[in-house]
Amino acid sequence: MAIYETIFILDSLMPPKEIDASIERFSSIITSNGGKVRKVDKWGKRRLAYEIEKKQYGFYGSIEFEGEGNIPKELESEYNFNDKVLRYLTYRYDKRKLKAMQLEQKDAQEKKPVEPTVKKSATTEPVTKPHAAEEKPAQAPETEAPEKAEEKTPEAEQTNDEENK
Amino acid sequence: MLKFRRKRVCQFCQQGVVYIDFKEEKKLLKFLTEQGKIIPRHTTGTCAKHQRQLAKAIKRARHLALIPFVADFTR
Repeated sequence: MAIYETIFILDSLMPPKEIDASIERFSSIITSNGGKVRKVDKWGKRRLAYEIEKKQYGFYGSIEFEGEGNIPKELESEYNFNDKVLRYLTYRYDKRKLKAMQLEQKDAQEKKPVEPTVKKSATTEPVTKPHAAEEKPAQAPETEAPEKAEEKTPEAEQTNDEENK
Repeated sequence: MLKFRRKRVCQFCQQGVVYIDFKEEKKLLKFLTEQGKIIPRHTTGTCAKHQRQLAKAIKRARHLALIPFVADFTR
């Protein structure tokens, strides 16, 4: 079973109820063909970079699902049949995307236990994980924070000087 | 002159990017000309591995109208 994501652009002039209905229809196609819906995401109404069928705006939506190779075909035939779908893109998650997802999960897991992981991420890997480094100091207890700041500052100054030279 | 020439490093390698997402169109715009063409890697310094990924991401983004195929420029 592979993980796919399908993104579709619907006519933004449709009433919201119909948009929900069509999204439900797409997900029912996935489930009826032995797939599993992982995530449904509505990006909302966005301006298109270029006109499609003389329309300036489109409603973006995406469904992440798990399943076999027949599902993208079924979806494609539904998209082609449905006049309200301006564009669609269904793609399979490649190894890089899967790896990126794994790393995200790891980050999320590391964030939950606050104290032990804070030190590691703050000191060893500030460059590779900028988001984690920014968020974690805020969560950290106040007593540890000033010490770290003192430790860090001389090093940081040194590195800056070197770069300037 | 060679001494002063700075060695260009791939931006994605520096940041440790594993996957270039085509949904982040603002990041992709850095690697496009004003007209919307893909900038060759000898000017941006992107490594071959990431340039291939980038090209794919840009093409997907174009298909979904996140990025223009051709940006209309005024004469």
